[in-house]
Amino acid sequence: MFKRVKEIYAYRTMIYSLVKRDLKGRYKGSFLGFLWTFINPLFQLLIYTFVFSIVMRSNIEDYYMFLFVALIPWIFFSTSLAGGSTCITTQKDMVQKIYFPREVIPISYVTGLFINMLLSFLVVFAVMFVMKYTFNPLALLCLIPVMLTEYILALGFTFILSGVTVFFQDMQFIMGILTMAWQFLSPVMYSAEMVPEELQTLYMLINPMAPIIVSYRDILYYAKVPDFGMLLMSLGTGVVLFLIGWFTFDKMQRHFAEEM
Amino acid sequence: MKPENAIEVHNITKKFKVYLDKGKTLKERTLFSKRRKFENREVLKGISFEAKKGEAIGLIGHNGCGKSTTLKMLTKIMYPDSGTIEMNGRVSSLIELGAGFHPDMSGRDNIYINASIFGLTKKEIDERVNDIIEFSELEDFIDNPVRTYSSGMYMRLAFAVAINVDADILLIDEILAVGDVTFQAKCFNKLRKIKSDGTTIVIVSHSLNQLEMICDRTIWIHDGVIREEGSPFDVHPKYMSFMANNTLSRAKEEKKEEKKKEEAKKEITEAADHKPVNTEIEKEAEKPDTKQDDGKRWGSNEIVMTKVSVTDKDGVERNTFFNSEPVFVSIGYDNPGKIDKSVVGVAIYRDDKVHIYGTNTLIDTSKMLPLKDKGVITLAFDNIPVNAGNYIFDLAFHRPDGFNYDFWRGVFTLNITNAKGEVGVMSLSHSWESDAGK
Repeated sequence: MFKRVKEIYAYRTMIYSLVKRDLKGRYKGSFLGFLWTFINPLFQLLIYTFVFSIVMRSNIEDYYMFLFVALIPWIFFSTSLAGGSTCITTQKDMVQKIYFPREVIPISYVTGLFINMLLSFLVVFAVMFVMKYTFNPLALLCLIPVMLTEYILALGFTFILSGVTVFFQDMQFIMGILTMAWQFLSPVMYSAEMVPEELQTLYMLINPMAPIIVSYRDILYYAKVPDFGMLLMSLGTGVVLFLIGWFTFDKMQRHFAEEM
Repeated sequence: MKPENAIEVHNITKKFKVYLDKGKTLKERTLFSKRRKFENREVLKGISFEAKKGEAIGLIGHNGCGKSTTLKMLTKIMYPDSGTIEMNGRVSSLIELGAGFHPDMSGRDNIYINASIFGLTKKEIDERVNDIIEFSELEDFIDNPVRTYSSGMYMRLAFAVAINVDADILLIDEILAVGDVTFQAKCFNKLRKIKSDGTTIVIVSHSLNQLEMICDRTIWIHDGVIREEGSPFDVHPKYMSFMANNTLSRAKEEKKEEKKKEEAKKEITEAADHKPVNTEIEKEAEKPDTKQDDGKRWGSNEIVMTKVSVTDKDGVERNTFFNSEPVFVSIGYDNPGKIDKSVVGVAIYRDDKVHIYGTNTLIDTSKMLPLKDKGVITLAFDNIPVNAGNYIFDLAFHRPDGFNYDFWRGVFTLNITNAKGEVGVMSLSHSWESDAGK
C-alpha cells in the first residue's frame, strides 16, 4: 500500500495536468473561456432567486440561498458518482496503451470536480457578500474538514464505480437513477428537521451525505459551527469506503486492459 | 535478480477469455446466458528471457503470436496469470504516441500533459521541454493549438516527447514509422544514442531491417512460446524461411482446393466418359524439395538458383581475389515457374557481419532482368575495393514488392586481399600531391 502511495505521488504532475486539462480544456474555444466556470453557477443562482422568491414562494427565508449552498456540494458528489463511473472507460486508449497507476484517473476526475465546486463557492461568497450575509470566521474554518470528508467519500465511491463499470457497463445508467433518488433522500431541497422526528437519527446515520449537507448549510446559511459528532460518523464511513474502494479498485485494475 | 540484468521474465503465461458474443449489460448477462460462451485462448504458454542492462532485444513473430502481449506485460498494462516479471529501473513505453493530447491546447501545453502521463514531474519536464521542441522541429508552431497541426507534425511532437523521457528500460511497439524519411532517420539515430547511453530496449516490430540495425538479440515468439533466440543474423533468416514456407503451403492448399473443385466439376461433366482423373497435384506435392532448408535459403521456388560460380577475368574459378582485380559471378538458374522477368539482388557482408554493400537490378537500372526457362546471369564487378578480409555474398531473385522466388544467404565467401597495408573498411582510390614539387 505504501509503495502504491509513493508511486501515485510520483505521478502527481499527471494528476495536476489532467485536472488542468479538464478545467481549461472544457471551455477552450469559447469566447468567454474560463469565465463560464463562474457564469454558470451565477445564472443558476439568479434563476433560483427568481423562481423561489417570486413564483414559488417558500416559507424558508431566502430559500434560493438555502438551496444553493446545499446544491453545489451535492452536484459535486452526484457528478463524481454518475460521471465518475465512466471515467476509466472514457480513457480507454490511455488505459490500454500506457502504464501509469490507474488510480490517477479517478483521483484527477474527482479533484477536477472538487476544484470546480470551490470555484462555484467563490460565486456564492460574492453573492453573500453583496447581500450582506453575516460571515462567521470560525464556522468558515470548519468548511475545510467538511469538504475533505466529502472528497474522501466521493473518491471512495468513484474508485468502486469506475472499476465496476469497466466490467459491467449498466453501472453508469444505474448510477444516474440512484443519484437522483439519493438527492431526494438527502436534505438538499428541504431541511433535515422536516424529516419525521422518529426517523431522524436513522436518516442521518444511513446516509453519509446527510450530515455533510447539513454541515454546509449550517456554516454558510446559518453561519454557525456544524455538529461534529454527526460529521465524524460521515468521515468514518468515508474512510472505510475509501479504503474498500481503493482495495477493490486495485484488484480490478489488473484486468482493465483486457476487459475493454 | 542478477545485478547485470535489467529485465528478468520467468515462465509467464496468459490466457484470454475470448467471448463468442460478449454481453456487457445486465439484460444480456441475465437473459442470454447461453450467449456468454467463451473459450480460453492461451496466448502465452511460458516465456522466459533476460535482458542485460544496455541490451537491445527485438521480438518477432506472426500476428497474434503473443509478442505484443509480452510487451504489455512488461509495461504492466496487463499482468501474467502465472510467472514473474522483474524489472530494474524506470520504464518508459513507446506504445501509444500522443496520449492525452488536447486538440485545443498549444503544443507546449500538450508536451506537459503528455510527458506527465509518462510519469515525469513538472521539474523534469521543464528541463526537457527545449530538447523536445528542438527534436520535434516545431519551434515556429509550438504555441499554436495542436488541432492546427498536420498529422506528421502531430506525430513528430508526440514522438519527441516519448523519446526524451530518460528511461532505464524503453519498450517500443511498432512505431518507428513516424514522419518523413529524414525524421525517421533522426529517430533511429536518437534511439542508437539512447542505447549507447546504457538504456535497455525491447522492440516489437515486423520490420526485420530496423531490428537488425539496433538489436543485439532477437527473440522469435511462435504460438506463445519462444521458438528461437539469438543474434538477428541467425534468427531472421530462419524466421523468413519459415514465413515463406507458411505462405507457400497455404497457397498450395488453396491451389489444391481449387483443383479439387475443378475436378469435381469435370467429374460431373465427364461422368459419362469415365475418364481417369488428372493426378497433377499429387505429382506436384510429391516433387522432392531440391533446396536444403537450413534457414539460409527461402522463397517460392518458382525460380531456383542452381550453380553459382565466381571467376576471374580469365574465366578461372577462384575464391581469393585482390581488391583491385575484376570479379565475375555467374548465377545459373532454373525457372520452373515460367517467370518472364525478375529482380536480381546481391548483398555483401564482412564476416563480422558488417553490411558492406547491397544493390539490385531495380536500383541499378530500374528494370528487371528477362529470364529463360534455364539460364545464366552474370554479375561483373570491376573490382571489390574493400580492405583485406572474408566477405559473404547473398543473392536473391525476387519480385519488386519483395516477394522472394529464391533468397540465398551466404551463397559463397570470398577472401579479398589487399597488396598494400591500408587500414579501414574499404580502399579509396586517391592520389597525393605537394606544392613543393616531387
